[in-house]
Amino acid sequence: MKINYQSGRIIRVLIVLGLLGILEFILSAQTPSKKSPPQQPMGGVSTGTAVDYKTKRTIDITDPKAPVVFDDITDQTTLRNFLHRSGTAEKNYIFEAPSGGVALFDYDGDGMLDIYLVNGSTMSALQGKEKAPRAALYRNLGGFKFEDVTNKAGVANERWGMGVAVGDYDNDGGPDLFVSNFGISRLYHNNGNGTFTDVAERLNVARKGWSTGGTWGDYDSDGRLDLFVPGYVDIQFDKLPPSPSAAASSGIGQNFCQFRGVPVMCGPRGLPGEGDTLFHQRPDGTFEDVSVKAGVSDPQKFYGFTSAFVHVDEDSLLDLIVVNDSTPKLLYINKGNGTFEETGYPSGVALNENGREQAGMGLAIGDYDHDGRVDFHITNFSDDSNVLYHNDGEGNFTDVTFQAGVGEVSIPFLGWGTSFFDYDNDGWDDLIVANGHVYPVVDNHQWGTSYAQQLLLFRNLKGKFVRVGAARGSGLAKAWCARGLAIGDLDGDGRLDAVLNNMDAKPTMLQNVTTSAGHWISVRLIGDISKKVSRDAIGAEVFVTTGNVRQRKDVISGNSYASQNDFALHFGLGTATTLDKIEIKWPDGSTQTVQTPGLDRRLTVAQNVGVLK
Amino acid sequence: MMRNIRSVLVLAIVSMACAFSAVTTAQDSPTVLAAQELTRIVPSGFYFQGLSASTQTRNSAAARFGTNRYVISGLVDTSGYSSDVREKYQGFFITDSPMSLGGTAVDVGAYGFGFTGDGKFNLMDLSGKDLISVSTTKDSGLRRPRPLVMTTVGGRLRLYSGRDYVEITSR
Repeated sequence: MKINYQSGRIIRVLIVLGLLGILEFILSAQTPSKKSPPQQPMGGVSTGTAVDYKTKRTIDITDPKAPVVFDDITDQTTLRNFLHRSGTAEKNYIFEAPSGGVALFDYDGDGMLDIYLVNGSTMSALQGKEKAPRAALYRNLGGFKFEDVTNKAGVANERWGMGVAVGDYDNDGGPDLFVSNFGISRLYHNNGNGTFTDVAERLNVARKGWSTGGTWGDYDSDGRLDLFVPGYVDIQFDKLPPSPSAAASSGIGQNFCQFRGVPVMCGPRGLPGEGDTLFHQRPDGTFEDVSVKAGVSDPQKFYGFTSAFVHVDEDSLLDLIVVNDSTPKLLYINKGNGTFEETGYPSGVALNENGREQAGMGLAIGDYDHDGRVDFHITNFSDDSNVLYHNDGEGNFTDVTFQAGVGEVSIPFLGWGTSFFDYDNDGWDDLIVANGHVYPVVDNHQWGTSYAQQLLLFRNLKGKFVRVGAARGSGLAKAWCARGLAIGDLDGDGRLDAVLNNMDAKPTMLQNVTTSAGHWISVRLIGDISKKVSRDAIGAEVFVTTGNVRQRKDVISGNSYASQNDFALHFGLGTATTLDKIEIKWPDGSTQTVQTPGLDRRLTVAQNVGVLK
Repeated sequence: MMRNIRSVLVLAIVSMACAFSAVTTAQDSPTVLAAQELTRIVPSGFYFQGLSASTQTRNSAAARFGTNRYVISGLVDTSGYSSDVREKYQGFFITDSPMSLGGTAVDVGAYGFGFTGDGKFNLMDLSGKDLISVSTTKDSGLRRPRPLVMTTVGGRLRLYSGRDYVEITSR
């Protein structure tokens, strides 16, 4: 074989390059790799590292310069008489920890928001050894005066309640209540005369097992509301996991579930999960379980907590999001043929930006950056941040938690109910989070967190959030072991108030006393059932335009944490003195534009009719 | 003439060497198994340091080297373990042939593993004893990270946890 000069030169060059490559490889192998920033372990709920903190970080944090946003007026109302109970104070088992939700809705049609508070239960009550805790319905009399009408209404539940979702399933004008239970759930039909009747068994929605935050929505556009209910954990009373109290009495630490080395209740990890259920409403008003056929049965049995039917993409079909505890979140895109495609992973919603599964609890839905698409804020366990998913369009989401400013501050908190709402009426949706731990034992340690925790309120500065400081003595400065959270204007003054349902305690009523609030408009919708739109217009989108700002809000059943915000859509308008237009996209895809006779008022708009009042 | 014969012989040897190399490469090149194949080989539970815990099928992965050599890995539910174990132990790693993890030799066996926040991948025996600790690589450009996946890049197998990965090669 002849090797000429040119070939020899090429070979020499290749040899030199090869040697250089080997040298570079050796050098790179010897050079220490750049140290990655610390990150939490993958695949599960972080329990954090055993760091001692000097403060709890979740209580007693006040700012003397902060304005007062909320006054805690609970003790001035009859709500102070409601006592939530859920199992033992020690929380030996997981079913004692997640109750319960709260709903703000106008059950009697008098134009004022009433309050339904879910209650838990106890093992003794389940065994008939003591009176079962009762849920409660409070009728709004105006001026923050309420009347307990539970007995008359017949909605005490007296089962281990978890959540509540409001929907007028029979389009008779009276909002009905689906109460999800650890046990058999109930559907309270509003009889229109101040009373309700449990029709769950008769209509085939008496779901057994452990039902959590359900949602109503007409997924097949037939004009009849359907019902989706997540399932949480499959618990058998005769096969209970070891309890922390037993560990303490035996002196044994091993083989008990632990949080930072201390025995705590087990779960949900390590316990069998429960599938989810979609009930389709038939023309005769009864329901059928179509979970498997529709592709939303959750065969992997993730630990479901909160769900919502909502328009995620640009079509007119209602999609569905399910927030799961310690497992991936599910996002179902409606295919329009009675089935859904689960897109949690490809959409970016299943995990956080680092690919971690999080302990999802509550869900807020809103267009916080005025791009016309709904975004998701989801609350998580302590030692982990809550997560904000920005909707990029076409069903794609990006985790923008830390860029948006809601990540770092949320880490010591264990979040539950959450909602986008414009507390100061400046035209940008702010963000509220109700918090409270699941392990009472955290108060015995310097772990930088606490059982009762303060609320988190973030002000929206045109797409970026900053925490609102807690003025001393204000509602933001107090701490509760909160679960459910619902938002609505309870006194009709144009400022949105909040109600919390708290673990083993009385609820909290927070009156919005913001003095710098801007103008506002509130829109309540009535769908045209002849157009196959449900009367309460769940799934409708409303766009309000002032100048170059176009806000969007949706009528949604469920969300927050197993709770119900007012169906009326409240828009802050800031300093705007005129409102250009209100556009409504009804669930049937039709659009309607209405004019308002003025600002700072509540409108009721009927489909194809216009403003009623 | 002799020069031509020598050239032909050299070419033949080079061709054979290339062919052998190609066969060897084909035998050693990893193939990531599809989800439906995982159900046949991923164990439902895994023993480690005194306890057995259920594995997470959704967060499990496996690859085949050549025709019949496998590596299998997955996350486990570590809720029953003490906090100090959970800080290190996140999942299982099983190989039925000698492998190299991040450049460090690993023998046939079943192990516990964990990706830690300091950028390390740690392998432990079933008693919890540390065996190897190698540096991970961060893939900042990864679009949709997952809790645990295997993927091949340029014919090399990567075990990812989020954006961090270690390379697995056959020995």
